[in-house]
Amino acid sequence: MPISEEHVGRSYPATAPYQVSRAKIAEFAAALGDAANPAYAGTDPIAPPTFAVVLAAAAWDAMFDDPDLELSLSRTVHADQRFAWQRPLRAGDEVTATLRIEKVRARGPMAIITIAVDLATAAGEELCTATSTLMHTQEAAE
Amino acid sequence: MSIEASVGQELPGFTRTFTRADLVRYAGASGDFNPIHWSNPAAAALGLPDVIAHGMLTMGTALRVVTDWTGDPARVLNYFVRFSKPVVVPETDGAEVRFRGTVTKVEDGVATVRIEAVAGEVAVLGAATAEVSVG
Repeated sequence: MPISEEHVGRSYPATAPYQVSRAKIAEFAAALGDAANPAYAGTDPIAPPTFAVVLAAAAWDAMFDDPDLELSLSRTVHADQRFAWQRPLRAGDEVTATLRIEKVRARGPMAIITIAVDLATAAGEELCTATSTLMHTQEAAE
Repeated sequence: MSIEASVGQELPGFTRTFTRADLVRYAGASGDFNPIHWSNPAAAALGLPDVIAHGMLTMGTALRVVTDWTGDPARVLNYFVRFSKPVVVPETDGAEVRFRGTVTKVEDGVATVRIEAVAGEVAVLGAATAEVSVG
């Protein structure tokens, strides 16, 4: 049974804590062409806002590995993305990510899946919710 | 310190040329090694004209319209984009994308900014909107 409306509400265990580092912040800011922003440098930098995707994507694995859903990353298109931040991620934060399936709509062989990933510190402070719409095409039936 | 913001205000834009090297760098920084972002055959297998940029690279770069304006990225509260068209990145010349923003609403110390990202004549992000604290 591929993914369907009945999987709405399913969630997965939090990812192992990821420690945000100054080096990774600098690397990510440089990749965005934004290494010059002083907020991303120095001894106590914040991460560029969209760095949250690195942590959110780590939570996607659990869903793609769920055998009930018959999903494949290679048949998935990222249609839209939202972030809502409670505060910026900072160097030193230990962050976990928890994914839940918010919505599933079928359109022919395609499933339009909305997932929400909550980022929180290992101590439980909420940091960000990253919500994605994915368009997934089922393999053609034999 | 509050930031001057008014409806209709145009934020300074910028142009960035994305090269293959930029895509490789973003792949490493983000951990997204999907081969459609660096391998011509992988892109062709999906019917793409060439390698395409990570949507999240375009999204992250576009937010600089807002963070360059406010100076402080910590002011960004909310950010949404639709990945409406891929940014196709040819191996030799790369792809030039123009970014700009307009303030569409100011309420309770929060400005809403509509962001545009255009490659050639094609809007590559749809409904791109950021909410930023200006109070």
